[in-house]
Amino acid sequence: MKLKSILSTAVISAALSVGAVAQDFPDGTINFVVPYGPGGGFDTAARALAPYMEESLGPNTTIVIQNVAGAGGRRGATQVARSAPDGYTVGIFNLPGFVLPEMLGESVEYDLTTLSWIGRLENQDYVLLSRGSSDIKTLDDLLVQDDIVVTSHGFGSTGLAANQIMFSVLGLESVNPIYVGGYSGTTAAIVGAIRGDGDITVSVISTALSYVDSGDLTPLAVSGTARVWDTVPTFEEAGYPELTPINLQRSIAGPPGIPQDRLQILRDAFMAATSNPAFLKAAESMGMQINVLDGDAAGAEVNSSFGLFNRFRDSLGNPN
Amino acid sequence: MLESLNLAVNFFLADWMTIVYLMLGVLIGVLFGVIPGLGGTTAVALLLPLTFGMQPEQAITLMGGILGSSAIGGSVAAILLNAPGTAPNAATCFDGYPMTRQGKAGIAIGAAMAASSIGGLIGVAILIVVLPITKSIVLMFGPPAFFMLAVLGLTSLTVASGNLLRGLLAACIGLMIGFVGYDDFGGTQRYTFDSNFLWDGISLVPTLIGLFAIAEMIKLYVEGGAIAKDTDPTKIKLAGTSLGIKSVFSNMPTVFSGSIIGSIVGMVPGVGGTVASFLAYSFASQFTRKNNHFGSGDVRGVIAPEAANNAKDGGSLIPTLAFGIPGSAEMALFLGVLIMHGMTPGPMLLIEREWSIMVLIIALALATLMASLVVLASAKLLVMISFLNSAIIIPAVLAISLVGAYALNAHMGDVVVAVIFGFIGYMMIKFEFPRITLVIALVLGSMMERSFLQSITIFRGDWTGFFRDTTSLIIFCLVVLALAFPTVHKIRGMLAK
Repeated sequence: MKLKSILSTAVISAALSVGAVAQDFPDGTINFVVPYGPGGGFDTAARALAPYMEESLGPNTTIVIQNVAGAGGRRGATQVARSAPDGYTVGIFNLPGFVLPEMLGESVEYDLTTLSWIGRLENQDYVLLSRGSSDIKTLDDLLVQDDIVVTSHGFGSTGLAANQIMFSVLGLESVNPIYVGGYSGTTAAIVGAIRGDGDITVSVISTALSYVDSGDLTPLAVSGTARVWDTVPTFEEAGYPELTPINLQRSIAGPPGIPQDRLQILRDAFMAATSNPAFLKAAESMGMQINVLDGDAAGAEVNSSFGLFNRFRDSLGNPN
Repeated sequence: MLESLNLAVNFFLADWMTIVYLMLGVLIGVLFGVIPGLGGTTAVALLLPLTFGMQPEQAITLMGGILGSSAIGGSVAAILLNAPGTAPNAATCFDGYPMTRQGKAGIAIGAAMAASSIGGLIGVAILIVVLPITKSIVLMFGPPAFFMLAVLGLTSLTVASGNLLRGLLAACIGLMIGFVGYDDFGGTQRYTFDSNFLWDGISLVPTLIGLFAIAEMIKLYVEGGAIAKDTDPTKIKLAGTSLGIKSVFSNMPTVFSGSIIGSIVGMVPGVGGTVASFLAYSFASQFTRKNNHFGSGDVRGVIAPEAANNAKDGGSLIPTLAFGIPGSAEMALFLGVLIMHGMTPGPMLLIEREWSIMVLIIALALATLMASLVVLASAKLLVMISFLNSAIIIPAVLAISLVGAYALNAHMGDVVVAVIFGFIGYMMIKFEFPRITLVIALVLGSMMERSFLQSITIFRGDWTGFFRDTTSLIIFCLVVLALAFPTVHKIRGMLAK
């Protein structure tokens, strides 16, 4: 214990002394932690951003993507939060996904409010969907149903939480919707709905796009402030402004206590990368929804997420 | 479709660099496949940044090379060391390793390579045929069908395991190990003791490494000597591979049944190759009547799972491409490569980018052939491993196994799991419990539970729903057949006496 504290003091003082000469940073390898397995949305977003951020950080820096999957993202998030605050470890975070465990009464080993936030990369709005072949074609059709079956990833997932909040605001909790959980991910839940396991599902817009194009799913309403499909209203337009802030954000942060000058270098590199036309073009072709916020604003979103979930805490129980 | 095929062929002929990329993918795939724990997933992850500057179709070719070849490398480790290089190779151990112990490693490798190539080609052919109806195939398999598929897997394997009581016991232990971890459906943690590591349950790959590779090394240590028993290396024709290749052509029914099972199971999202090769193996072992010595070095026990193993690659592309549901970690990563190159998987991909998909199909077919040739060319050298003294082979295999377990997820916990299962595996060998049954129960257990709960929710508590779902009903009939066949056979045998 004693040795550990001496060591950590040594690390911090070393970090501080190096930090004094800002020009030396960054020099070497920056570990970019993705708290999920390779191939998913967070992984592709990080891998798309990394080369452009690397370019902005200068020739002496390499960014290495490190997939630290496990425990629904907790393992990776914890690893970033506990790493040395020298600016050489950053990670991509799921908001409000990483807020959710605490809301559901589980203990986590990271504190999102104290992280050194570098910026928000993406903000994906949610869409409420019905099976294309079902009779539910509009939000009004859904509201008169007295028997609703929903497919979802399952308890503890951001998608289910979004779904539960939507049903709470729409007044659908009283019809006791049946939730079929346990699908391996949002896409699997979507396919479940198409197959007829349920009638309704919820997903981020980019995931749903191709299924709406093919007619397999009908969008009923979207969160956020802008329409995506001409005929589909936002929740706000439909009279439910409380649902506007439901979204999925992908933000970059490092452990608490990165020295200010280093954090600024990382933030500048992030802003430069995300305004690089080449990056924006690549991101668009990948279906990313780039919606940049600077470090301070990205950090402030943590509190909004806590606020939103707190308001609907009673609706977030396990439906099974 | 022909037009896209033509475009794709021209793509391969137009630029010799394309073939170089494919070759690179194949070499890396084989190499990573051989080492237990590394597998195609690590290879794809490693080469992923390399594809940034490439044309989308070139990236697909490189990745196709890896996807088509890693399981072929994996079969080499399964045969020579009883250490499945990739999880789907586990079924190859049952007869491949006994063959090695009898000094017939060359034959086993030859058979595995020929079966893999033919299986891979059959899988690709089936993929091309069903490509236009992919959507309806994926939609046929709902939770009730998944549940029945798990029941089928468990039934056929318990029936095949010889000693029924020991088989059932091993299956129960496997199911119980499968309970560990976060339960998606109920939202509770089971036996995780608040540890983040146990949250995701006991992973399959370290379990396999322990049960097979490490357990085998403990056994070898206790017994001493080399892997190949009582055989003088100077007397053995080291290659023997041509004999193995010939054996495949004289067992074509086994190749076909294995390939077809592989393709079909591969199409079912989320079930994956491990189940495909297990089912192919148990089908072959149950329905082969002539000279059946499965489990003690029957070459058909290598042919069936290897054919299935490579046929399933074609099949598993269907859920990945048409719906973006990857069947394995490897496919999940491949999905990422596609997205990064602006190809979003989904119902529209097959229509909009048909020719790119054709490039992938051709790359897969060529990769299986190339990988088999690479392994065959180095077979002589590889087979020498089985004649090495235990003092050399044990430390080497243990080191590779433990590194492999660690590399999977960069977690020491996986290494601990591998070691623990090494001892469990040794005890199982000693007391003659079937290790395979434990593994299948572990693979199928969580799927079985989840799909059962999903089905019951969808049916609103009415279990007769399992027989109203057409796919599930068909699979149920297969379950009844699997149970009835050995019994009927036994009764007929008794009547004949």
